[in-house]
Amino acid sequence: MISKLMEALRLKNFQLKTKLIITYILLTVIPMAVLGYITYYQNTKAIEEQVGEYVPRLLNQANKNIENEINEIGNLPNLIYNSSDVMAVLRANPYKDQSSMLQDQFTVESFLSRTYLGSNNTNILGAFLLSTNGSFISTRVAYEGFDFNNTLLPYGEAHDLGGDTKILLPNEVNLTFEGDPSYMLVVKEIVDLDNRENLGTLFLAVKLTFIEEILQDLDEEERATMWVMDDQGQIIYHPLQKKIGTYFEEIDDYPILNGSFRTTIEKDRTLISINQSAKQQWVLVHSIPITYLTEGTDVVKTVAIIIFLILVVITTLISIIVAWSVTKPINLLGRIMKDVENGNLYVKIPIDSKDEVGVLASSFQSMISKIRDLIKKNDHIEIRQKEAELYALQSQINPHFMYNTLETIGASIEDGESELVVDMVAILGRMLRFSLSNKDKIVPISLEVLHIEDYLTLQKFRFEERISFNIQNDYEHDVYFTPKFILQPIVENSVKYGMQKRKALKIEIDFIHEKSEIKDPHIIMIVRDNGPGINEEELKNLNEFLQKDPMINRDSGFGIINVHARIVMMFGDQYGLTINSAVDKGTEVMIRIPQLLKKQVRNGDE
Amino acid sequence: MFFRIVFCIFLLLIVSGCNIGPKITEYEVIYNGHNEQKQAESTQNHKNYTIAVIPKVSGIPYFNAVEEGVKEAGKDLGINVLYSGSLIADWKQQEAIINGYIEQKVDLIAISANDPEKLGTVLKEARKQGIRVITWDSDTNSHFRELFINMVDPEMVGRHIMDTLSSRVNEKGSFAIITGSSDAANLNEWINWMKVQQKEYYPNMKLVDIVETDDDPKKAYSASKNLLNKHPEINGIIGSSSVGPPAAAQAVKDINKSGEITVVGLSTPNLMREYIKDGSAQVVTLWSPKKLGYLTVSIAKELLDGQEISDNQYISNIGNVRVKEDTVIMGQPIDFTKENIDQYDF
Repeated sequence: MISKLMEALRLKNFQLKTKLIITYILLTVIPMAVLGYITYYQNTKAIEEQVGEYVPRLLNQANKNIENEINEIGNLPNLIYNSSDVMAVLRANPYKDQSSMLQDQFTVESFLSRTYLGSNNTNILGAFLLSTNGSFISTRVAYEGFDFNNTLLPYGEAHDLGGDTKILLPNEVNLTFEGDPSYMLVVKEIVDLDNRENLGTLFLAVKLTFIEEILQDLDEEERATMWVMDDQGQIIYHPLQKKIGTYFEEIDDYPILNGSFRTTIEKDRTLISINQSAKQQWVLVHSIPITYLTEGTDVVKTVAIIIFLILVVITTLISIIVAWSVTKPINLLGRIMKDVENGNLYVKIPIDSKDEVGVLASSFQSMISKIRDLIKKNDHIEIRQKEAELYALQSQINPHFMYNTLETIGASIEDGESELVVDMVAILGRMLRFSLSNKDKIVPISLEVLHIEDYLTLQKFRFEERISFNIQNDYEHDVYFTPKFILQPIVENSVKYGMQKRKALKIEIDFIHEKSEIKDPHIIMIVRDNGPGINEEELKNLNEFLQKDPMINRDSGFGIINVHARIVMMFGDQYGLTINSAVDKGTEVMIRIPQLLKKQVRNGDE
Repeated sequence: MFFRIVFCIFLLLIVSGCNIGPKITEYEVIYNGHNEQKQAESTQNHKNYTIAVIPKVSGIPYFNAVEEGVKEAGKDLGINVLYSGSLIADWKQQEAIINGYIEQKVDLIAISANDPEKLGTVLKEARKQGIRVITWDSDTNSHFRELFINMVDPEMVGRHIMDTLSSRVNEKGSFAIITGSSDAANLNEWINWMKVQQKEYYPNMKLVDIVETDDDPKKAYSASKNLLNKHPEINGIIGSSSVGPPAAAQAVKDINKSGEITVVGLSTPNLMREYIKDGSAQVVTLWSPKKLGYLTVSIAKELLDGQEISDNQYISNIGNVRVKEDTVIMGQPIDFTKENIDQYDF
């Protein structure tokens, strides 16, 4: 799935540097952005919830205060009951004469003025008492409208309000006061409590300043709009006076009338808190744009965004630097590898850090040097081998050897020993074939032994009694292998020096199989002669020569050195030649090689 | 390619925090006020109540006025009110009426009891049936009812009637009391307080007799006559129930002693207007029985709505009421005199 995705987005093909940068940025930017967003969202939500829960409580309190005020105002008409004079006037039958009517009018109006327009309640603009006997009016300021003589007006009739206090709003009556203050009319039926008769209706015009005052106490937030309306949506109080009395249509859409909600229209989101009073059924609304609530958070948001951007820049820079520092050595290594691929083995990797790339670089470096060494070594072995072959061939087609051999063959023909001649020719042919068949660098020991046997047999034909040899032969010679031409140079040496001084040379070749637990099993070939031996100084020089690096002395003319070098190069320096010799007593050359099975040889070859 | 586009859109949605789904409402509620439940409950409770109001006796102006008040309140408050009483003030008749209401399964019975104890059995039975019981005008033993709606404070009214008499007879002489039924708790309590007031402040006055009338106007008239014959020396008569003062005034008038014998007491303006105007009675004290009827129904409704009545509570169309323990007191009584009696019509 993920790999598919990567493929789909072609992420696979991006450079490692790009990938790293993208990863770093995603790992920092996305969590930061998500975290920031969630924090901001939760904060805003928490504020909304807090305000949404807090404001309705305030509104509830304000509503209660308004209700109390209205209750108090609603109780004001009851003060009439306390005045028996006024009650007497209201209960009186239609008047007989003008003077008593005017007298009564004075009584009632002065009562109204005293009771309602007195200094203790400045909110009352005027009191209008309509009774069956006439109308009594007392106002604080001049007014217009409200013509009681016009009996067509509904408030000219006796109201039957069932004892309730009713509230009329200015748009329902044509009454205006000087200065156009916003007011409401509290309408109360004056019932003769004792006679249970309707005596008239009292209208009290009350300024709405008390609502304003209550709302102002509550209104800590200047931007909030608060208004009061009834449950039908008619606005009773609004800061904008022209709205008073109009209908607020949206109330029908409001999901609740107690609590808080917000508009979900994104443009101007508004938190609306609302509370409905229990008795009046008045709805107090507090509406505030959410942006004002979240102002503090918005500052935080701006700061957070700035910090976020700075962090993004910093992390991007860091990621670029890190990615660059990680990929730079890798790129360098890659370039060097390419160089090596093209054949340049002599490179130097300038990476010395200890991290994975450093380890890789140093491994690569050592690998290259090993390869170099191996190539060198192989070259040496090849040359030695060729040299050995050449030497073997040279020694066989050596005119001296050929001459001697051919002379021996000739002598034998003269003697009529045709069988011997046939044997010699066959041996010579076999030797030449062995030398020329340079396919195999490594041969079974039996073949090498056969070759030496052939060589010594030819020498014996020539020197007859002066030379004798004895080769230990056993079945293991077919099983184990040895590099080609390692015995011949040694045996030749023995013959060459042995023939110079002694008359009868005896050569013995032995094979020892050593099996020890410490070392790998190996074979020691021992070539022993009773020749003149090597004097101590020469032997010392020779051994020293053998100890030296086989690579360096490759130009040495000694066949014996070549043998040693080849063995050391092929198998390591725990193998090779060891020479023991004593003057006049003879020489013993020990050739130590590993026990090689055919299987191993093949592997080694290939 | 398709896959890549889908992936990108998905990523965009995650980043932008979009929520897939239709927007159902324009408003999202953040906080829901707790009052809603209460409101729902109160509207549910608003059912039609049936209240039975039982007077001591039917047909006399006082209780007729009460009936008017009861009917008015029933109309104003939207309550089904039943009002019926027996023609004579008798507890047995009232028991029968209550039994009828129990069968009707009314919500509340308000009774002006003719006997404080004897109605106990049937009232207990009514309460057992889930009918609430209150008393008005005249109380029973407090075990049998929830509360008692008293027109006035009995101490206050008793003492006040005594004062109205004594102030008009210059605090000396002898007087008699014409009462309703000797079993009626309210009358007895008032009379008690009259006696207390007389003993405390008017040592020169003497109570010579208390006569019963059973709230029967005819009986009251004859009792008054007998009283005047029996005690020619008295200069004052107190009528403690509404039929008393008119009967006494008529009797005084009949023997041409208007003005000489002071007649005071508790009666309605309509009954007494004539006598007060012609001087055969001086002052009567009463409350508005209409108001009492109205108040009884209003209180009954408050109780059925599960509201408590508290001291100084404002009752619509009544005014503030006082509450003393399990007694609701309607207010102060009114004195009707020559000057103001025309203002009242009950």
